[in-house]
Amino acid sequence: MEDYRFLFKVVLVGNAGVGKTCLVRRFTQGLFPPGQGATIGVDFMIKTVDINGEKVKLQIWDTAGQERFRSITQSYYRSAHALILVYDVSSQPSFDCLPDWLREIEEYANAKVLRVLVGNKTDREDREIPTYVGEDFAQRNNMYFMETSAKEADNVEKLFMEIAHALIEQAKAREPVPEYKGNPGQSVTLNHRTPSTTSESCCSRLL
Amino acid sequence: MATIVKKCCCFEVPEDLVESVIFKCTSPDCCCGCCAPRYKRLVDSVFPRNPQDGLVKSNMEKLTFYVLSSPEKLDRVGEYLYQKVSRDIYRKRNGFTVIGVECMDQLLQACHSQTLNLFVESFLKMVQKLLESPDPNLQILATKSFVKFANIEEDTPSYHRRYDFFVSKFASMCHNNSSNDEFRNEIRKAGIQGLKSVVRKTVSDELVENIWETSHMEKIIPSLLFNMEHGRKTLVKDENDGVTEAQDEIDAPKLAENCMRDLVNKATFGHVRSIVKPVLHHFDAFELWVPNDFAVHTFRVIMFSIQSQYSYAVIETLMNHLEQHTHSSNAKIRTSMADVLAKIIDIAAGESVGPSVLEIVNAIVQHIQVSTKLDRVDGDEKSYRETLISALGEYVTHLPDYQKIEIMKFIMQKVPSRSDNCQSHRLLQNMLLKSLLMVGSKYRTTYLSTTFPIAFLQPLLTLSQDDDPEVRLLVQNILHTLIDRRQNREKLFTPTLKLENINREPSTRTDILFVKKNGAEIFSNMIASLEKNNNELRNMNAIYTTVALFTVELFCEDTLFDFVRLVLSFQDLAITSTVLSPAQKIHLHVIALCLFVLIAYCLPVLKEYSDKVIKARRDQAIHLMPPLKTRYEVYEPSQNIPDAALLSQDAIYTLLKQEGFEPTTVKSAAYTFPRHSWVDAHMQSSSTTDLNSISLEVDSGSSTPDGTKQKPNQTDMELTVESLKKILNEPSENRKAVESEKRKNLNESFKTAAFEDLVSKAAAKGGNLQNKLSEIFSKVAVSGTVESPSRTNNNHTSNHVGNKVRFPNIYEL
Repeated sequence: MEDYRFLFKVVLVGNAGVGKTCLVRRFTQGLFPPGQGATIGVDFMIKTVDINGEKVKLQIWDTAGQERFRSITQSYYRSAHALILVYDVSSQPSFDCLPDWLREIEEYANAKVLRVLVGNKTDREDREIPTYVGEDFAQRNNMYFMETSAKEADNVEKLFMEIAHALIEQAKAREPVPEYKGNPGQSVTLNHRTPSTTSESCCSRLL
Repeated sequence: MATIVKKCCCFEVPEDLVESVIFKCTSPDCCCGCCAPRYKRLVDSVFPRNPQDGLVKSNMEKLTFYVLSSPEKLDRVGEYLYQKVSRDIYRKRNGFTVIGVECMDQLLQACHSQTLNLFVESFLKMVQKLLESPDPNLQILATKSFVKFANIEEDTPSYHRRYDFFVSKFASMCHNNSSNDEFRNEIRKAGIQGLKSVVRKTVSDELVENIWETSHMEKIIPSLLFNMEHGRKTLVKDENDGVTEAQDEIDAPKLAENCMRDLVNKATFGHVRSIVKPVLHHFDAFELWVPNDFAVHTFRVIMFSIQSQYSYAVIETLMNHLEQHTHSSNAKIRTSMADVLAKIIDIAAGESVGPSVLEIVNAIVQHIQVSTKLDRVDGDEKSYRETLISALGEYVTHLPDYQKIEIMKFIMQKVPSRSDNCQSHRLLQNMLLKSLLMVGSKYRTTYLSTTFPIAFLQPLLTLSQDDDPEVRLLVQNILHTLIDRRQNREKLFTPTLKLENINREPSTRTDILFVKKNGAEIFSNMIASLEKNNNELRNMNAIYTTVALFTVELFCEDTLFDFVRLVLSFQDLAITSTVLSPAQKIHLHVIALCLFVLIAYCLPVLKEYSDKVIKARRDQAIHLMPPLKTRYEVYEPSQNIPDAALLSQDAIYTLLKQEGFEPTTVKSAAYTFPRHSWVDAHMQSSSTTDLNSISLEVDSGSSTPDGTKQKPNQTDMELTVESLKKILNEPSENRKAVESEKRKNLNESFKTAAFEDLVSKAAAKGGNLQNKLSEIFSKVAVSGTVESPSRTNNNHTSNHVGNKVRFPNIYEL
């Protein structure tokens, strides 16, 4: 219940109104709040998930899409392990802004950050961006890609799980932790005396 | 350790033994409460059966006593409490969570700092856990707890504490947007308090987090500003709604402001930028420059809170920011920024020292320079420049006087020379002179010689000969503000015969020395500027004011003749000048009279004579009385002025002689100041040779060969010692008559003759002169003679390439 093996910071970015907050809400609380107001500054949510028996704590920072909050949101990119760049499949402008966002990410985020492109609102009838266009863009920019619908809870869980998965792989590749190999299901109680700093330091190594 | 025996509830046992047996048994599901170690049992006993009952006080005391008597247990207590609390959070048993936190707080307060280190780790983990919870109540609880913690002074260093989560989370709380007003307010306040505590905790402790890192500041500053600004909005709104509600609303912004003050106060030089930059970005992003009330407010807060020795760094950063905006944003934003600058710069001025002063002035001047280069000439750009100048003024006001002089010299250097004629240079010249005027108006002259060091006076006088009447007027205004030591400027604003309440004090020795040294140069420049034929009425008035102020300030027995001569040469100019319009000549007469009246005011012996002249003018030449007008009905004034209405040199000198004043020089007539023919009119303006000759006359009282330097161009006479002698010995009237005749002819010929004729004539003559000159050069190297023709050439090569002769000034215009 308590201890976690990994802590990852995930930051959502993208134009205002593409559904970042809804994605987070759907994932963390399982709801789709209709008439969600614009986010101010940065919102924070946490969710612990289980990946192959390993507890992974996801710190999710949901940033405001509005231009005027850009300076504060940028300061959150730096420490992120994963950046989810969201656009709205029914809004060409939100897709057109992607290169700008990528530039921002280049500038402010860690170079090794995991980048994921997400086309949200697949439930909408008036889709403007076909899947392959998004896929193509993601490929060209070396990003993961997924289309989701926060409203229908389509792919949302999967999105975060895959991110968690990828991040674990990344973390392990960088710093193998021998004593856990082969026994992922080890009980928490036995781990207890291993001070939780292990997990923290493991994350800090990611920084 | 093993020797210490503790009393357990059921049996006595060395504590370590128990611990070693059930060492790992920290699982919450542990069935056997009684075999848990003592510290656990003590912690457990603190919690009541029913959360409503609150913390069990007596047991809490026991626990406190326990950890105080065996501090080595504190860490485990902390760890255990943390687990309990996080379990309660997870199970959403808020009542118990609150009790757990309270217990943690009390232990924190009770224990000595040396032992706290590991306990604090658990404590912070608990706070983080609470903050991670989506429940606003828990977040607020966490903040309160954290604030308490921040107030504890720790004296042991803590190496591995990380606060970046706290900064991130508190900053996020500052932006809370809950639909519930009350929660929103509370959470935002909690966020601010949290930030404040993080700052407090980290600022003093170098080993922990460096709070000044940009990644932190970029979160903290915008959060504070967001709340400060938001509060202002609601404040305004609430004032309309009623005051009662406003009380609560004010809190968050006030809190944010206090936090800001705290933060800024702790900043050292290196941190100033990391604070100010996010502030500037915030204003950019939120478009808070226009209107700039909030920006002004914020910067005032910063300026008043910052350690004063660093305040100029704020100014510098703001100015750099302004620079970044120069090309991108519109003038309104820049004007607003400059206005902010103007409003806070005085706070910095008191503390600025040494090079930083000039740096700031330089930066402002550069901004003005850049602005003049932009093609935009709309009103916004203009008001931007005006604002910059007023910022400069604000800044300079608070500087000591000696620095003001330095600054004036500095700005003077930046004024472009008049050879550049393009639009932007004109504008820049204008703007810089305005800046100079602004600085000058803040300066209080005590000694004229200190106010006008030669490096400043010289270029200023050169500018007083500029072709642009606007520039000349500015120069005169600068002179006014600098000369006027006794507030006579208003009274002498226009030529007047009524002199009342003029404040005078006897001239000092330094004043007299100043006149001896610079008087001639200044006066000859005044005459030269009067002779500009594009002078407007205000130029005339301004020159009068300048000379009048000089008179008031410097008139005494020693300088008497300098002033009398000056006045007479004004009148002389009016009579002899061929360049001036009739109206301008009348102006000169009026000015001469008014100045003479002023002299008579200072030296009552002359009063009677001045009254006589006034009366004569009233009767016979009323148009020669003040005030100055733009249009006169009488034309060609020199023709029909009766002698009585003119100032007579002889009459004045006789009067003075009777009183025992002797002119100091032999040739002290009005024409001490060189008459200009068309050729040397130009040279006069900047010629140092003239000035030498005058000062020599004043100093030595004898005319020397140097005095002739000005004359070679005047006539086509052969340049021999004989001819020069002749010039010197000839009575001045004769020569004047010849000269004016010649001038008339010349005028006539230029007006009527065909252009080709003129060219050929000039070419011929020029060749003549040229030959002569080169001949002279080859013979003797007289610096003066070398100088004047070369200057002539420089100034006038544009029309006729290869032809060294130029047309007179009047045809240029």
